Amino acid sequence: MTLAGSLMKNTLITRRGANAALLAFFGAAGFAAATPALAQARDPGAEAFVQTKAQRVITVLANKGMSDAQKKQVFHQAVDELADVPRITNFVLGKYARTITPDQRARFTPVFRTYAENVYQSRIDDYRGEQLKVTGSVVRKPGDVIVNTTISGGQITSPLPVSWRVLGSGQTWKVVDVQFKGIWLAITQQQDFVSTIDNAGGNIDVLINQLQKSGSGSSGRR
Amino acid sequence: MRDHDQSPRLKTQGRHFAAAGAIAAAGLLALAPAARAENQIPTAPAPAAGGETTAAAVYDPIEGFNRGAFKVGMGLDKVIFGPIAHGYMAITPKVVRNGVGNAVDNLGEPNTIMNHVLQGKPKRAIRSTTRFIVNSTVGVLGLFDVAAKMRLPARNADFGQTFGVWGAGPGAYLYVPGMGPLNVRDGVGRALDFVTDPVSLYVGGLSTDFGKARTGVTIVDLRAATDPAFRALDDAADPYVTTRSAYSQYRDAIVRDATGKAEDLPDFDAPPPSPAPAAPKP
Repeated sequence: MTLAGSLMKNTLITRRGANAALLAFFGAAGFAAATPALAQARDPGAEAFVQTKAQRVITVLANKGMSDAQKKQVFHQAVDELADVPRITNFVLGKYARTITPDQRARFTPVFRTYAENVYQSRIDDYRGEQLKVTGSVVRKPGDVIVNTTISGGQITSPLPVSWRVLGSGQTWKVVDVQFKGIWLAITQQQDFVSTIDNAGGNIDVLINQLQKSGSGSSGRR
Repeated sequence: MRDHDQSPRLKTQGRHFAAAGAIAAAGLLALAPAARAENQIPTAPAPAAGGETTAAAVYDPIEGFNRGAFKVGMGLDKVIFGPIAHGYMAITPKVVRNGVGNAVDNLGEPNTIMNHVLQGKPKRAIRSTTRFIVNSTVGVLGLFDVAAKMRLPARNADFGQTFGVWGAGPGAYLYVPGMGPLNVRDGVGRALDFVTDPVSLYVGGLSTDFGKARTGVTIVDLRAATDPAFRALDDAADPYVTTRSAYSQYRDAIVRDATGKAEDLPDFDAPPPSPAPAAPKP
């Protein structure tokens, strides 16, 4: 009986403690919310977009009945629906997006596209998940949303969290970056490219030539 | 994470190392606020537009040395670790590798529990304790992650993360051949993970056959598990910077997982190529 009594007492204390903690938490949360407005809100439109379009890409790549060439073609189309390619192309150039000449841009754009498609197709292929499930989203500011998902099934043993940064509004959204194991792909790509150009003394052509080579190398390796 | 036990020397110098580690940690913590402040761009009114991201600004004062070390490390990987891992992956089915990975992770669980406690996270500590008990018994010495199926998924913790929770910034980036990418905070953390690891202390460290086998298996398992990352590096224009960026973001995310803080991201459209609106409003 004493045991039960003390247990009950403990539970009561814990509950009171929990209430206090909750109050403190919400107090803090309220305080925090006052400064960055709109943080933590969800965006159903962005979530629906990722659910549909990203799922489509994953379904295509997980399809065992499709040849690699077919996959490549469908992936190429799906990328346009899913991602804001011009914006990403600009972002990965970092500070050099300001100094690139129109001629260089005209050459960089298709080279980067081919390179990125090859690279990301093999990245996604490494994991070969099947189902994508949206678990939530965070509105960073209006029109800039992080949609959190998990990918499971296929070769994945435990659900893999993947986040998608989408820009847009209402029903029109486009993915600009993808995060996985904490790593944002476009941000990493930007650092990679900017450093390569830096080390070439600011010569963007060096990067373009290198991507041309490694882009074809990557597709050959697959 | 589950990569401890690298240098045999560490074991004998364990106590000295722990003391040195504690001093270094204290120093790190003292410097942390300054390092943070340095990175922060004061953009007061803009919501969530902090400008500071680990991704954008990795502090790498000895980049020249690190690049050399990276070359050596990748060379070592090409002739030793890579081939061993690929051989291992070729002769074992995925089920076996998953089992081995689970067992390695399970032996890291006591260290995780300790760090959850140090981070003031009793709930996570209890979950990890339950995981350790269930997986060590029902899960046959950790080969099967039974606990994950009981809705107790793994939640790793380490000293580097704990220092991050206590407010330490990552400090300078380091590349150590054979250990891979690190920073000061996580390097000190890893040394502490090593010398305070409960399994090494109570079951057997590197001087025992168990410890040697565990270290060997841990290294092979880790290399096999990170194989996709190594393949991704083949596509990078500058593999050194790609590694540095990816590692820093990865560790930053691990600290954020414990602090619950939101990530600061760069605005996607800065810097604009031409006068484009900063806020995307199509």
